[in-house]
Amino acid sequence: MTISGMLILIGLLGVVPIIIGSAFVTVDKKPQGLPFMWIFGQLVLWAGFQLLSVPIILKVGRFSQVVNIYNVYTAVMLVGAVILWCVRRKKTKLRPVKTKEEALNKTTLVAWIIFWALLVFQLIQAVRLAYGDGDDAFYVAISGMAEDSEWMYQKIAYTGWPSVLDVRHGMAPFPIWIAYLIRLSGMEVSTVNHIVMPLMLIPMTYAIYYLLAEKLFSKKKEGIPVFLIITELLVLFGDYSYYTAERFMIARSRQGKAALGSVIIPVLFFLLLLFLEKMQENQRISLGYWILLGATMTTGCLCSTLGALLVCVLIGVTGLCAAACYKKWKFLFPMATCCVPCVVYAGLYLILG
Amino acid sequence: MWSHMLNLFQEYMGSGLIVIWFLISLIYLWITEKRKPIRILFLYVPLILLLLFFNPVFAKLVFEAAGDEIYYRILWLLPITVVIAFATVEIWKRLEGRRKSCFLVASVAIIVISGKYVYSNEYFQKAENLYHIPQTVVDICDAIEVEGREVKAIFPLEMVQYVRQYSPVICMPYGREIIVESWQFWNPLYDVMEADVIDPGLLASGCREQWTAYIILPKDKPVNGSLTDYDFEVFAEIDEYVIYKDATVDLTVG
Repeated sequence: MTISGMLILIGLLGVVPIIIGSAFVTVDKKPQGLPFMWIFGQLVLWAGFQLLSVPIILKVGRFSQVVNIYNVYTAVMLVGAVILWCVRRKKTKLRPVKTKEEALNKTTLVAWIIFWALLVFQLIQAVRLAYGDGDDAFYVAISGMAEDSEWMYQKIAYTGWPSVLDVRHGMAPFPIWIAYLIRLSGMEVSTVNHIVMPLMLIPMTYAIYYLLAEKLFSKKKEGIPVFLIITELLVLFGDYSYYTAERFMIARSRQGKAALGSVIIPVLFFLLLLFLEKMQENQRISLGYWILLGATMTTGCLCSTLGALLVCVLIGVTGLCAAACYKKWKFLFPMATCCVPCVVYAGLYLILG
Repeated sequence: MWSHMLNLFQEYMGSGLIVIWFLISLIYLWITEKRKPIRILFLYVPLILLLLFFNPVFAKLVFEAAGDEIYYRILWLLPITVVIAFATVEIWKRLEGRRKSCFLVASVAIIVISGKYVYSNEYFQKAENLYHIPQTVVDICDAIEVEGREVKAIFPLEMVQYVRQYSPVICMPYGREIIVESWQFWNPLYDVMEADVIDPGLLASGCREQWTAYIILPKDKPVNGSLTDYDFEVFAEIDEYVIYKDATVDLTVG
């Protein structure tokens, strides 16, 4: 683990997503803060990775091609975000709105301290404890092979033998994105998978819960830290079954399916809540919102082949419920359009898989 | 199919207490929550999703497309954590004074009692290094790696799942797929390697047939003779393991 490698990862997983996410801060009534920018910048990057890498994988291309094209995509998005920021700054002098902060009373302060302490505890545990999960023999090895040999899903991960293209897993190349981080940072395969991934995805999960809490407790913000503490406890005591998303998040965070359960699905709930609020208040839904929804759904496909189905089911059920409750049907079209990438991937999986 | 869905749901619930709190929270929010967006997203949608999960037509479609083993992930769409946390805070906000803190303490106690502490899971171990791979596996891999080429080695069963996480240039005749019984993977070398007493002749010839240059054996593994009688040499000893190398194979590059 080198300092330059760590700095590169901080840039790739923190600074770059925040800059790109700044392009979308106006999708809600008031400009959003850092957690929003970080999460949605990363989602836009992930969605791009999925759209660019899967065709290369299916065409049996090389890993370097994915790295190069994704670098270009990231650079374009960065430049675009910076230009947009400059234009907005000139036009509207847009700055984060300083809302009247509620006075931080003693209970709220203590609650925030407890929240942060529990988060730091989870991050320390993520470094200190190793979880021996059998599926890592597949996913971590896929990252290692891509980085080392340039082959993507054309070798059996467990043994290293050459094989035909594994279409099913190749359609959800989350391990290849991790291989990209490994290539750029020069850090060890297993270190990035087992340590860097939880250090990124666990805080990201709570950042999403924070966004949700801001919406749920928009009038009385003292509920936010208490809500976050309860979610932390439900995660920490979420090992009541082998199958819970909470267990996946803590124990198997380097696997795409864990990101699906703990990042993508909660983000969708946040976006859907935003959408329903806009419906309620008869507000216009911006193009930026639909881009973020589409990016989140595409990222669902990056994480897991089943992700395509899960995110479409959630969007479909919520969309139909909203249409029935608000007697508005027009928005179903852009919502269905956001499902197109998932439908395409699912179709390809059924045809090729 | 119905019983399979029910089994998956029961397994997902574990002890069932957290899901009971989820249902109670749903009922509480059903009665008290007036905001329509929240009612739609956290009340109506989860209930429809639950009905969908138990819908045999939907289940059949998913089983056929993605397999029945991962059907439980439909339940990830239930916002259990958000709904419980939201209902808890909503109740907490309505209380005053001592009741407020007592309720919070009781809620925490209920979650702790109903759930299971994730770090108490037996698969969590203190990490031996920054790779989160057993140090012995790391040392063995470092010892047998050859610059510029792949090498093939056979490892004891307890190591197979870690080897290629650490080193992509070490190949194996079989890996983790042999551990999962339901996948029904088989390799003749597995039977020889994992026999109570190893037959060195069979192991040596089997490894040569599968171009496997290294054999890693626990020091205390009973062997009916010695691998050195079959042109394997002791390459290194690391912790409780001996590494044998096929002396008839030249692994140097160029």
